Amino acid sequence: MNGPNDRQDEPQAAAPGSPGMTRRGFIRKSAVAAAGAAAVAAALSPLRNISPDHIPTLEQLLQKHYKEMTPEEMKAVLERISREVEKRYAVRPQVADIKPMTGVEFVYALNISRCIGCRRCVHACVKENNQSRSPEIQYIRVLKMEKGSIDVETSDHHYDPPTVPEHESYYMPVQCHQCANPPCVKVCPVEATWQEPDGITVIDYDWCIGCRYCEAACPYWARRFNFAEPGLTAEELNPNMAYLSNRPRAVGVMEKCTYCLHRTRVGRMPACVEACPTGSRKFGNVLDPKSEIAYILRHKRVFVLKQEVGTLPRFFYYFDERGSRYHEPLDPAVSGGDA
Amino acid sequence: MAGLLLADPWQEAVPIPPKTDVPVWATDTTPVRHPTLKPETVIAGMTFRCSECHDLFPSPPETDRALTQHRHIVLDHGINARCFNCHNRQDRNAFADDRGDPIPFDQPPVLCAKCHGPVYRDWTHDVHGRTDGYWNDSLGSRRRLKCVECHDPHAPAFQAMRPARGPNTLRMGDQTHHPAGTEKTKNPLLIYRQTPSGRDVTHERPE
Repeated sequence: MNGPNDRQDEPQAAAPGSPGMTRRGFIRKSAVAAAGAAAVAAALSPLRNISPDHIPTLEQLLQKHYKEMTPEEMKAVLERISREVEKRYAVRPQVADIKPMTGVEFVYALNISRCIGCRRCVHACVKENNQSRSPEIQYIRVLKMEKGSIDVETSDHHYDPPTVPEHESYYMPVQCHQCANPPCVKVCPVEATWQEPDGITVIDYDWCIGCRYCEAACPYWARRFNFAEPGLTAEELNPNMAYLSNRPRAVGVMEKCTYCLHRTRVGRMPACVEACPTGSRKFGNVLDPKSEIAYILRHKRVFVLKQEVGTLPRFFYYFDERGSRYHEPLDPAVSGGDA
Repeated sequence: MAGLLLADPWQEAVPIPPKTDVPVWATDTTPVRHPTLKPETVIAGMTFRCSECHDLFPSPPETDRALTQHRHIVLDHGINARCFNCHNRQDRNAFADDRGDPIPFDQPPVLCAKCHGPVYRDWTHDVHGRTDGYWNDSLGSRRRLKCVECHDPHAPAFQAMRPARGPNTLRMGDQTHHPAGTEKTKNPLLIYRQTPSGRDVTHERPE
């Protein structure tokens, strides 16, 4: 249709009604636009698999940040969470928003002379805090270490001997240290995680965008991400819940140890303390001079993990005097050869 | 571009490991021992107070010998190898303190404190051993476990126990295809991936 002259002289042969647009240019741009639209459609194609449960309701979209909610708004949110849990698990939960107690700062201490690495704490924690069972999320990692060193790089948390403790090993459970200078809080771009007045660093699961900056920032590997839809059955669900701790999480949010704040803020012990058969785990209010935590900090030799990174943990490791594990005799020459 | 996105040739998804059940014993929080705290012994299915025999049959004074009675007791208490270091020679329904005066059977910590001073001191401050209940005693009761709820007085080393199973998390995956005990199974930096062909491969994390 176009003569050779027209080809050399495109602008003059513009279609009427669209100045500057040739037939060829129009086709080319249409093709690019179609390809772009197809790419966008393909990129959005995973949305085909979305279930109606994953589309947030208007109520969820308009929910305010935890700190900005009035008591009435919080009540409505707790009601919504109860409804959602009941719909999903057919269990009516007790969801509360438990505020920190005044004059309380929680501190944890763990006696590494006594810990035998039995992992009872790990599973008590999972049971209490409604973590996903598949894929598995655990807040506590028990590191097996060689005696005479604190080298987390060569530690092993997959140990599986018939019985523990093993010879020439000691065990160092690691969980969230509830730092007084928490790097995870500093890196959060949306303020979905913060430190409470009683020292617990919490996460608003409805505000978290799942960027995982906090996981990268934590020097203790204490934060966990829900890569998949949490697998939790109704029988496994713990119906005693709090907004900031163990209510069921959604896919794509971070979670971590909260010192079981739904228990500890009403005076109870965290689940891991209650489960420890050796009594290696100690928990309490450091501001109370009569508490066992205050006694440990005054009288025991305590240390914190990775002190040099300056996180100021509220989680202390301590150990007993040499020779107070009587079943591990001192040098036979010293102990009389009979111990 | 659209074709690439739709075909998704990078199907290297991390698989969700199958669920592994946690046995009931792994979450059992009861103390490891259940002592009676009463001066009793069971002979042929019948329960007796210690004095019921020992008033009739006094024990030989020297106890460093092969036992003829109570032979189920395995004494593995270090240099403390004499019955009467702890049991009261006159009152068999009690323990003995340093002067031979009775200590009631339901107060074993007082007896243990004779030798284990630092541990007793820590225990009285709730620092040695487990304390059940509330961290704040104005909000609820708390109970300090007694020595014998964790330790067998005749063999007091805390007994070794079976560990609950280890983590089976996304990052770790199934490592059973490595022979147990090799360096690889002990490497905590293993990443678990599944190739499109469905074969499991475990990679070392790149240096």
